[in-house]
Amino acid sequence: MEQGAHPHFDHLIDLTKGEINRSIFSDPAIYQQELKQIFARCWLFLGHETQLPEENDFFTAYMGEDPVIVTRHSGGQIGAFLNMCRHRGNRVCRADSGNQRMFTCPFHGWTFANNGNLKTVPGYKQVYHEKLDMESHGLVPVAQIDSYKGMIFATFDASAPSLEDYLGDMAWYLDMAVDRREGGIVFLPGTHKWRIKCNWKFPVDNFIGDSYHGPVSHGSAWESGFEGMPRRKKGYGYEGFQINAGNGHGFGARWAENEEQVYEMALPEFLAYEQDRFPETHARLGDLRGMHLSPMHASIFPNFSMLWQSGNMRVWHPRGVNETEGWSWCFVDKKADQDHRDMVRIHDLQRHGTSGTWEQDDVDNWVQSTLSSRGYVGRQFTQNLSMGMDHEIEDPTSIHPDMRGRVAGFQNEINQRQLYARWAHLMDGDAPVVQGATA
Amino acid sequence: MSRNIDIWFSITQFYSREARYLDDLEFDKWIGLMAPDLRYWMPIVSNRIGRGIGSELTERGHLAHFEDDFESMRNRVKRLATGRAWAETPPGRTNHMVSNVEVDGQEDGLTHVTSKFLIYRSHMETDQEVFSGTRKDVLRADEDTDWKIVDRTIILDHAVLTQKSLGIFF
Repeated sequence: MEQGAHPHFDHLIDLTKGEINRSIFSDPAIYQQELKQIFARCWLFLGHETQLPEENDFFTAYMGEDPVIVTRHSGGQIGAFLNMCRHRGNRVCRADSGNQRMFTCPFHGWTFANNGNLKTVPGYKQVYHEKLDMESHGLVPVAQIDSYKGMIFATFDASAPSLEDYLGDMAWYLDMAVDRREGGIVFLPGTHKWRIKCNWKFPVDNFIGDSYHGPVSHGSAWESGFEGMPRRKKGYGYEGFQINAGNGHGFGARWAENEEQVYEMALPEFLAYEQDRFPETHARLGDLRGMHLSPMHASIFPNFSMLWQSGNMRVWHPRGVNETEGWSWCFVDKKADQDHRDMVRIHDLQRHGTSGTWEQDDVDNWVQSTLSSRGYVGRQFTQNLSMGMDHEIEDPTSIHPDMRGRVAGFQNEINQRQLYARWAHLMDGDAPVVQGATA
Repeated sequence: MSRNIDIWFSITQFYSREARYLDDLEFDKWIGLMAPDLRYWMPIVSNRIGRGIGSELTERGHLAHFEDDFESMRNRVKRLATGRAWAETPPGRTNHMVSNVEVDGQEDGLTHVTSKFLIYRSHMETDQEVFSGTRKDVLRADEDTDWKIVDRTIILDHAVLTQKSLGIFF
């Protein structure tokens, strides 16, 4: 296939064979189309409400390659705006976070309130002769912003479905991370940020359904004392499910028959906490979500990923077809005591994120996979996602009446297949409706 | 005066030896320079402006790049020796350069030292990484190795790491 020559994308994904064309990881034209059709259309994760505890708190983030400011206005409401002065496009906020009511552009001094309104323009009378329409030159707001139990998402597409519809069944499953205990979760202060020379889809693919790579990629971490997988040895790695929640979202979970097995699967350092919170979690979430499923890894389309027990959430910001910027946070139950918070934090940072003994080895795999998608010849060979194709479970409610979504065994590439199916569907779909855009 | 120079000289020699162990991949010898009550910590630096200036570093209890003790550092070293630590297989080629060594003071048998580092790393074919930053150490005199590192705070000059991971030691 010639680079940049495809008017349609679904032919790059062949779900009858479980094969995808590898140019989607290397073609610069496809990447530009992704910024438009994926990143300007989808609901993207910005951060957690606990990162904005006070009025006028803000942090900066990215939606695709577009920088945004996320603010808690003077009234307490949360908003998100392009971090771009409407005069010359300069970045109006140069901080990663802070507390400010106003953002002044360092170029010419246009000043915006944290609700996006343009407040002052130097020389408004003398040089603009009061003819500049202040109202239509505020910071560009996202089209829609909403949160799910404290998790803030936004989209630049005015025609996008609601966040609730976008997340669909994934929200119900997400409760297993964010709503296990009264009060939900908090994000600890501090964000790992780092650049990886890989296409952004490789880490998303890895987190959404790759339970297969663990023993090989992470053998060194496992062997040297950085345990990260549940410790139950019986049937290790093969008892559980990949669950596809639709819309390109999915996760992998081990399966516990009873309360005892829940504890057997707990990470050793969290066992006491797991036992302590089990009654509350079980009561809140019921049998399927509160006991049987022990979720491990997930991705929410397009670029949000998480590790449940490890207390880790992250976003993969695209930075060109060959580069990704990972942002990783640590989360804990709000009700968790200080000892448990400390344990989760240390577990998380020693295994996942910048110095993570698990993470480092993943990163190198994604870099090498990206490299091999660049050569002309390599690109002619498809990426194989056929694992377990004919072994999806026909009736997931036969496992448990509450089970939702499409389900397959723990070692199965169902989630990757659905990830790229969703990708192709959006790439072929209508363009986003960016409100107020004139270009 | 001469005593202070002796301490400074001993510490700069110690740092050079430490750097050589790391660059020569002699990680067992390197971990031998750490005290059993080691605290090895690298906070995250972020961009702040206005009233936020002065709070660029995450604090204890926040997320950090490294927050390790002797056991977890020893396990990191053990991991590198498995031959399957893919991020360091083949191992990166590094040069640790340590300078601007200042002895900040001594109390209760502990010596406080601030230094600057520049680390060049070349990996695989053409990967090149440069790490720069400040180390704040607490050292304890030791009969066998001259000094043991009791407490090391590493402040990188990077808000977004341009390096793919922190798979080396600082």
